[in-house]
Amino acid sequence: MFKKILLATSGAPSTFGAARVAFDMAKRYGAEVVVFNVMGVPTKAFSQVVNDVRTGEEIEVDDEYRAWVEEELKSTFQKQIESVEFSKIITTTGVPHREILRAARAEDVDLIVMGASSGDSSAYRKGYPGSTLQRVAKAARCPVMTVHRETASYWGGFGSILFATDFSKQAESAFKYALASAKELDCDLTLFHALDISGKVLDQNAIEDELIAARERIRATYVSQMGDFKNFDVEVWEGVPYVEIVKMARERSADLIVMAHHNRELDPELARIGSTMEQVILRAGCPVVSVSKPDKV
Amino acid sequence: MPEGILCNKTPINTDEQLKLTLSDKGGKQYYEEMNHLEVDSDKLWGAIQKTMKSRTKTWLEICAHCGLCAESCFLYQVNGRVPEQVPSYKIQSTLGVIVKKKGKVDNAFMQMCMETAWSKCTCCNRCGMYCPHGIDMGVMFGYLRGLLYSQGFVPWELKIGSGMHRVYRAQMDVTTEDWVDTCEWMAEETEEEWPGLEIPIDKEDADIMYTCNAREPKHYPEDVAEAAILFHVAGENWTVPSEGWEQTSLSMFAGDWECCKDNVQNVYDAIERLRPKRAIGTECGHAHRATVIEGPYWTGRPDGQPPVPYIHYVEWLAEALRTGKLKIDPTKRIKEPVTLQDSCNYVRNQGLKDVTREILSYIVEPGYFVEMAPAKEHNYCCGGGGGFNGIGIYRPQRNMALRKKMEQIIDTGCKLVIAPCHNCWDAIRDLEEEYEIGIRWSFLKPLVIKMLDVPEHLLPKDE
Repeated sequence: MFKKILLATSGAPSTFGAARVAFDMAKRYGAEVVVFNVMGVPTKAFSQVVNDVRTGEEIEVDDEYRAWVEEELKSTFQKQIESVEFSKIITTTGVPHREILRAARAEDVDLIVMGASSGDSSAYRKGYPGSTLQRVAKAARCPVMTVHRETASYWGGFGSILFATDFSKQAESAFKYALASAKELDCDLTLFHALDISGKVLDQNAIEDELIAARERIRATYVSQMGDFKNFDVEVWEGVPYVEIVKMARERSADLIVMAHHNRELDPELARIGSTMEQVILRAGCPVVSVSKPDKV
Repeated sequence: MPEGILCNKTPINTDEQLKLTLSDKGGKQYYEEMNHLEVDSDKLWGAIQKTMKSRTKTWLEICAHCGLCAESCFLYQVNGRVPEQVPSYKIQSTLGVIVKKKGKVDNAFMQMCMETAWSKCTCCNRCGMYCPHGIDMGVMFGYLRGLLYSQGFVPWELKIGSGMHRVYRAQMDVTTEDWVDTCEWMAEETEEEWPGLEIPIDKEDADIMYTCNAREPKHYPEDVAEAAILFHVAGENWTVPSEGWEQTSLSMFAGDWECCKDNVQNVYDAIERLRPKRAIGTECGHAHRATVIEGPYWTGRPDGQPPVPYIHYVEWLAEALRTGKLKIDPTKRIKEPVTLQDSCNYVRNQGLKDVTREILSYIVEPGYFVEMAPAKEHNYCCGGGGGFNGIGIYRPQRNMALRKKMEQIIDTGCKLVIAPCHNCWDAIRDLEEEYEIGIRWSFLKPLVIKMLDVPEHLLPKDE
């Protein structure tokens, strides 16, 4: 299920965690890594000028610059590239999220791995950090794995997967992906729902009733599809969903969180508010996979 | 050296030559070669005799040098009001001299003409409105650019631009295959949120044939998706042609007359092949000017009209809102001060000033729309028109030119600027990047989609 991985990287340190996970996965599971870099945002109408991702300088894209960027990427990830069997580097210019999606489609990849943001780089136009992920996660046909914090728990293999559901249609695809991964990688799987009680004062009996109902719903919706896979448990906690998901991942020493993405808001400021997935990505100590479409699960 | 390898009198007609010219970083070799390019005076004078019609001759002769055009030119205003930026001076000292000298001018003179034609005039045609004789320097600079192009004195990017049109029939290297694939991709990406949405390609006898700007499939394909969403919600029977979808014309800015005709013919051929009831172009100004206003004359259509009624996006959008094909949820209207950029190429050139304001009356809460001063047909160029945006060597001049629009926007006090033209959109984005005045800018499509009152049956079923 990880035959071809697209590592979307600016080459900046904020993406090193994503690179580590992508290459380690490829090494362990025999996948091909496509290192993909958008060299610059075309800001200058139809001219050949772009802003370099790292320095923010205006650069005229030509063969020499392309070769230089490729060389930089090669030396940045040299050891890792040597450690995997297949890899290639693709560089392009354009609007980052759009080009990542274009490449993922053209290369028919099974997974996109990327950092959550381009870090504090002011080289990028305002609005890009975070919004790239937001837009990729919304439209990608394949799962998108995000690695934000240096992932201490990841040592080249997955042992425990946390699937967090909100019972949406997209969560159905996310579940399939989580289950397939757990089976293939021989992992423990936790099926988890965080009952959202943020900002509400609820009767304790009502909360407990809802927790019971959610457990039943998980059993009916997901466990019924699991066949002879027994390596799982079901958990339902109440609270603020993103906090509970991160806490649960910590408690289970999860190596991977799988969630659905179905925020349609593309304005990065608006999308950020209340987006559980985004908060989990920013806080989790392990890679987070967001799934929104059924195509590649 | 009479002609260079890159800088010469021959248009770029092959992919090989295009790539070769593109690989010349910043046009370094190209401009070096230009220093040695010979002017073919006989050919130049021959072209003038053949192509310069009575209107241009009369304009050149009757100009009284009164200087009333000076203040009309935003480039004059932002460049310290120097005499060299007075429109009548700019044209008399270039085209006027070439004509007077019967084409006997030298390389240095032609380079001066090139700099004037592409960095001191955006062909916004504003001066023509203020001239007591109605002399339009913008039109004459368009003509001068043609003469310069035929002699090889054209900025590197525009030589490439018209070459792109010649090789790919698009201003960027978007092939037919790329375009069709992008439409399929966008339909795929959008169909989940908009069940039943399609981007029909080459559908015959549709009500609408939609054409766009190659920047859309190349860099902003969501614009194509947004057009599809709005046509879908409005219940339109529409299509895009697989060939003849690109309606922009960098060749018009470059002065490549032959290519201008070819571009437009390509679009008109699509119309004739697919027989739509009418054609609609995207939110782009110069594309509209090229395909709808000037195009019919380039292709020699006797009635001066495209084969079917061909309207600008703002005209369709206003109609759709007026007739209720698209409904706006009043609670979602824009409730912050917002201003509107008038694109010279369809406002001053075609009078579409009121129809754009009609759209605003539907999407902006009353009291929040702030006009720029001056506005409508009196509004200034965005600062990057006529190809100015894309020419590297004139970047400092272009950045200076943006100052007028910046002042106008700051004066409105608005943080949101609606710019229903690709070039204006680019210029306003560049001005924010250059001067950081804290504004946002938008096309109409994404704004309208956000505030649509979508009929129940068009919404996804399961949510």
